[in-house]
Amino acid sequence: MYYLSEHIGRREALKRIFKAIAAVGASQFISFEDILAAEAVPARDKPHVIWLHGSSCSGCSISFMNIEYVPVIDILTQFTRVVFHPDLSLATGEQVPALIDELVRSKRPYLFVFEGGIPEGMPHACLMADKPITEWVDLLASRAQACIAAGTCATMGGVPKMPGTVTGSMTLEEYLNKRNIKVDLVNLPNCPMKPEHFVYTLLHLIKTGTFPALDNDKRPLKFFAHTVHERCIFYSSFQEHRFAQHVGDDGCLLKLGCQGPVTKNDCLITGHNGNTNTCIRAGHPCIGCASRQFPRQVMFHINREASSGGGSST
Amino acid sequence: MTSRTVTIDPVTRIEGHMRVKTRVENGVVVDAHCSADMFRGIEKALEGYDARAAQQVTQRVCGICPYGHAEAASLALENAMGIKPNRNGQILRNLIVGAYQLHDFLLHFYTLCLLDFIDIAAVLHYGGGDADLLRLKAWVAQELDSEKVFPAAPFLPRYKGNYAEDQELNITAIKHYMDAIPVLADLHKMVAIFGAKAPHPTAIEAGGVTTVPTAEKIGYYRTLLQRAERFVHDCYRNDVMAVGHQFKDYFQQGKGYGQLLSYAYFPDPDGKHHAFSSGVTLNGRYAPLDMQGITEEHAYSYYQDAVSGALKPLGGDVTPIGWQEFQKERDKADGKYSWCRAPRYQGQVMEVGPAARIVNTYLSGANPKLNQLADAINQQFGITLSDYPSVMGRHLCRYLSASLIIDMLKEQLEQVEPDKVAFVEAEVPKNAVGVGLTEATRGSLGHWIETDAKGRIRRYTLIVPTTWNMSPRDRAGQPGALEKMLIGTPLKDPEHPMELARIIRSTDPCLACSVH
Repeated sequence: MYYLSEHIGRREALKRIFKAIAAVGASQFISFEDILAAEAVPARDKPHVIWLHGSSCSGCSISFMNIEYVPVIDILTQFTRVVFHPDLSLATGEQVPALIDELVRSKRPYLFVFEGGIPEGMPHACLMADKPITEWVDLLASRAQACIAAGTCATMGGVPKMPGTVTGSMTLEEYLNKRNIKVDLVNLPNCPMKPEHFVYTLLHLIKTGTFPALDNDKRPLKFFAHTVHERCIFYSSFQEHRFAQHVGDDGCLLKLGCQGPVTKNDCLITGHNGNTNTCIRAGHPCIGCASRQFPRQVMFHINREASSGGGSST
Repeated sequence: MTSRTVTIDPVTRIEGHMRVKTRVENGVVVDAHCSADMFRGIEKALEGYDARAAQQVTQRVCGICPYGHAEAASLALENAMGIKPNRNGQILRNLIVGAYQLHDFLLHFYTLCLLDFIDIAAVLHYGGGDADLLRLKAWVAQELDSEKVFPAAPFLPRYKGNYAEDQELNITAIKHYMDAIPVLADLHKMVAIFGAKAPHPTAIEAGGVTTVPTAEKIGYYRTLLQRAERFVHDCYRNDVMAVGHQFKDYFQQGKGYGQLLSYAYFPDPDGKHHAFSSGVTLNGRYAPLDMQGITEEHAYSYYQDAVSGALKPLGGDVTPIGWQEFQKERDKADGKYSWCRAPRYQGQVMEVGPAARIVNTYLSGANPKLNQLADAINQQFGITLSDYPSVMGRHLCRYLSASLIIDMLKEQLEQVEPDKVAFVEAEVPKNAVGVGLTEATRGSLGHWIETDAKGRIRRYTLIVPTTWNMSPRDRAGQPGALEKMLIGTPLKDPEHPMELARIIRSTDPCLACSVH
């Protein structure tokens, strides 16, 4: 065991991590056993991971780096074997298609993480190594042990598929269906994808070899069983018809355009950025960024009819 | 004479899909073509959306610098509305934007660029007692000993190159590479405290910020800012300086045209004076910015030529070409080769970004503190302002920006009035036009909005930092800013064009932004 050379043992280090997890109230996500189990996986069984960007903004990749419960470096080195990630890999240029070739030829099982939309109607709208991204998805998804669709673009359509776009952008699931590629898939919507959702799903896969329980849209029930509204801090205000009329008012944000009632998500339980905040706690109505209707044509109402009150121009 | 093509595709550790193709003669780059390889068509898609939706949609142009789009979209709509945020609104916006910029500077230096200079393999010779480094060392050693197909991925394979030989520098920098990750998460928390979340802060809107600041939020932000400040001063500063001294020749690499453009950035709480000046530097001379000089061309971009020439912002739509036409263009010797369009200033190619921001502000004389910092650095390295647009100069200018921004965040944080609304309500204007200009991490960002009779978007234009830097050729055949930086670069080993990778990454390309 190479951990013996450290000042603190590995198990001790993991305990510390877990204490931090418990301290931020996130032990509902990832149990100490989850982490230990992942740790106990022999090196040869650690899943190979390959992560590609389609019509994306890299927001989900950057969001992944915000994970606090397990150090990013540990995910890269101890829990998985990240063969390629566009923002983290030192490999560049010709080394990248060579790595992918080698992965495919090795016939090793791997997880395929895909972020962004797939411009099926305009293949030249997203290229990598001089080939349309569609060809890379064909190659990698069909041979993958399982696919993780990261973020709203890859799962619900999001910005690259918003009405008015012309590239014929598809979600990963739509694209796989169209090409008749059969492979296990989990959808992790959110704009950007929440790092906790990703890491939990990853650890679950490592530990059990399966995805967590999914709903009909292939989203983990653990995070997407309830609407934002059902868990909202303003739920009682809603029931008592106490609505915010202006920005800064106390009360339910429905009249400012809140999408909470039609958006399944766990924001009001676990928040964003290690539960630092949520849109609603920041006084902004939910914009429904994990839903199929995102982005809507109107996402923020200023209530013009309401009598003037808070939010006056000072 | 030997002549060959050297292509880097994909360029990794940047945002997005980028291909760089160069012709190398006798070991020197004589021609370069930079291709942006992804198109979504967001400007056109926005037509018909509520004007306020532009904030949420355009920030999704980019997952690394979304705040810049949120700010520019809000500024454009505020300009159309004829309003300004109140003091609290302006300060909160600055606190969100400033923290996000610090995040992006550190992300760029540590995660994206550092391991082009620092030798990750040096960890194998580490003899100290730091637990993180020992674990990394053990892991790398174990990986390299094994029969694995991809040993030490994602840190290998990499280009061969002249990595730093100073063992102490290598070890310190690798440690900071790891230490930077939780600092990045902290900086995103600072964004979230007032902006709701990061990436994609929701709470910036035309009128200010929807968050009502409380003493608790201010206190939390202060705690995180103190931690970030320590990292910037103790680690970032020293690492940039050390890499700069070790790779001093890179003050002469990737210089390009040296023509610099910047917009005014980081307003005071009253929104009147900015810490960084707008302007242009042409032939070493600073001049105020003439907004009428900005146009966009697409002679070498994948759009139909039915509309041609130099379009002004909001001046007309371009239509993407289809698959067949795309293939024809790619086969031509002198065909279209990028989704990126070509912005020009009075017909000239301009570099935007940290070097432009620092040089223009210095020459404008508007910020004496910046001039003092720059003078001290020039003395230390024996360089002048003309060396700022260079690989190492750009890294230094990011540190200078970070250092100045931290001081302003500390000062403005104490001016927030707790429990006071930071938002001014106004109706979405009908048949109105507005422009919003700011500096995103990567340089000058402009949003232009035009609304229809119902207050919906009739037309929207984004001209983004990487559009300026990564532009292809224009009608006159002038290579874009980055293309020019690459031309003239000597390559030690064309199989491992590390010199090109360092130049490309020094501009912090964001391809999703550039095309949008």
